[in-house]
Amino acid sequence: MSKRVGIIGAAVTPFKGMWREKTYYELAQWATREAVKDAEISIKDVDSVFYGIYNDIFERAAIPEHALHGLLGMQDKFGIRITTGGATGAYTMSAAHAYLAAGRFKTALVLGVEKATDCFDFSSMSATPEVIKSIGWSGDSYFEQSIGWSASDSYAEVVLAYMDEHPGDLKPEVTAQISAQLSRQVQDNPIAQRQFDQVTPEEVLNSRLVAYPFRELEICVYSEGAAALILAEEETALAISRNTGKPVIWITGLGEANEHSFVGKNQKDLSRIMSDYYASQRAYEMAGIKDPTESIQIVELHDAFVHQLEISMAEFGLVPLGKADALIEENLMTPGGKYVVNPCGGLIYCGHAVGASNIMSAWSARNELVKRGLNTALVHGTGSTIAQFTACMILEHE
Amino acid sequence: MTKTKKVIPEEYIPDVGSQVETIDGQRYLITNDAMYTFYRRSKGEFSAFFLALRDEKKMLGCKCTKCGLVRVPPFLTHCPDCDFAPTELVEVDQVGTMYSTPPITYFATSLFQHMAPYGRGRVLFKGADTAVSLNLYTTTGILVPGILNKGTEVKLVFKSERIGEMTDVFCVPSAELPADLVAKNGLEETDIDWESPVEPSISEASAQDVEIYEEALKEIKSIIKEMNGNERARKDIAGWRRRISVKALGGQFSIIIDDGNIGLDEKPLDAPDFVMVSQDPRVLLDGLAYRGAITDSIIGKKLWISKNAEFTTVFKLDRMARSVVRTKKE
Repeated sequence: MSKRVGIIGAAVTPFKGMWREKTYYELAQWATREAVKDAEISIKDVDSVFYGIYNDIFERAAIPEHALHGLLGMQDKFGIRITTGGATGAYTMSAAHAYLAAGRFKTALVLGVEKATDCFDFSSMSATPEVIKSIGWSGDSYFEQSIGWSASDSYAEVVLAYMDEHPGDLKPEVTAQISAQLSRQVQDNPIAQRQFDQVTPEEVLNSRLVAYPFRELEICVYSEGAAALILAEEETALAISRNTGKPVIWITGLGEANEHSFVGKNQKDLSRIMSDYYASQRAYEMAGIKDPTESIQIVELHDAFVHQLEISMAEFGLVPLGKADALIEENLMTPGGKYVVNPCGGLIYCGHAVGASNIMSAWSARNELVKRGLNTALVHGTGSTIAQFTACMILEHE
Repeated sequence: MTKTKKVIPEEYIPDVGSQVETIDGQRYLITNDAMYTFYRRSKGEFSAFFLALRDEKKMLGCKCTKCGLVRVPPFLTHCPDCDFAPTELVEVDQVGTMYSTPPITYFATSLFQHMAPYGRGRVLFKGADTAVSLNLYTTTGILVPGILNKGTEVKLVFKSERIGEMTDVFCVPSAELPADLVAKNGLEETDIDWESPVEPSISEASAQDVEIYEEALKEIKSIIKEMNGNERARKDIAGWRRRISVKALGGQFSIIIDDGNIGLDEKPLDAPDFVMVSQDPRVLLDGLAYRGAITDSIIGKKLWISKNAEFTTVFKLDRMARSVVRTKKE
């Protein structure tokens, strides 16, 4: 019989476009210090650490976690790194849950950290082209890297294929409204990279095309930062909760799926994000959720692109496929609507410190469940070429 | 004699050096650096596919001996759908259709800025069951949305210099080629009549046109002055230098970008880095005023630039426009 697992502490460093003042060592320790403080425990009480770090190139080191282990106070304890593209943080939480549920450990530190914008392109004298080049090494090395594969054009392939099947959906005025709404929501997130960057739908529509059909203000921004959770199995979690007076946020469902990386018959259906579909269905089943439209109240979704946010919401079963614009047109995610979607501003406005992003989303979902007195949240991570990887997590506040 | 190409072009490689940046009174050391690894990597079981592209101008797939599924590219030797039954290499047709509408990249990674804007999408060749990822171009100039859509028929084209990489080939819409070229196997890029970029001519300006130009120029001057005084906008062009000649109905002027500084000169330039041409001077004005991106004006053919590689500079101008708007809101 597997054990229940819950979140009993969480912290996130400020997400910034660039941290000149900190290395990833300090960012990692900072988030950890704050997370154990939030749980009101000592780092000595933590049995294991699960590192979410996406990309060796960003940290400029293979095995970037090796230097962190000692400085986090985890010497001689278990440590493992998870890396699954954009879904790194979500998969890291899933892995930690599995070890705790199996009874291997009583407590775990889930730590995501990323330092992206040390990468620098000396030909254009700016960081972004080199950051996206570094991510470009994630494409298929035999067939796709050399022809300009990028995270943006890869997700754009999926979005355009969806639009081929559903030509009336993902209307530019709707994606612009969603971006503008996220920019308003981020105002309440003190660690966000773009806390004070509020935009209008018109500004979104006026922003430049980066990769058709994505405009600059519809794309997540690369960030540097760290996020940490303290997880514990039931008995330990309840004891800590009694001590702190803070509720345990239980992880009641998890689901993951990785699709094929090639496209066509028996391979990836480019017009769907089946990884989102399977992962969410599996998470619902584990959590005993029969109808997600009735159960899910908060969604902290990995919005790499606004269009993908809409498709993901449809794949989660929260809005019909082909009618994802109902999120705005039928006020499903507008203020006061049925779903609270990315109250932290999402990765587009809070920022995308890749390995830390989904953990930041879980931090936000935990905060929002408690603050709003709600019961159930869905946390999501997507990654790899053509939205290949997904991990979903259901959080419950009893 | 052909000049040898380097694996890493010279312009990407920084000099050894460092600098100090002061933030809140604290000094931070920043060092130029690189993490580089060179490879001599075998194409292994894919060698036959890449050699066929390079030497025989053929596109190969692999066919499962049990289910008959033809996969292009032939990325496996045994079919996982049939308990790993062996596959055999087969040649597929050099005409196919777009499996879905392809994206077009305008803001590329540092490796691909020279070829932006470019399309990359999935082509389903006749005889194949899966779609292969390829670069896509048009013979008619800049690739814009609407030229290639789901179902558009495309023709495989081989570059004249091939090295055994996916970059040896690309596709163009069949409809842009005469029938004999569509039917030809091993079609090379030199067989195709490519539209050469020619600087658009500007019609003779009337007194009213000159008045519009003067009015627009006045506003552009004011915006550029504002950009030059805006810290965020100045950061957008830090380390960047370009001399741009701008021609429009009613007159011409120059924009000078010089490592954080931007200026306007009403005199034409002798040897600009690139030229911008627009019949209507208000097109550039709108872009600089953040009333629509300059990038979009180029894509929409309202504004012409002499070098596609200068999309990088255009992006910087678009970013400066946004930086000024952001600062005003704060």
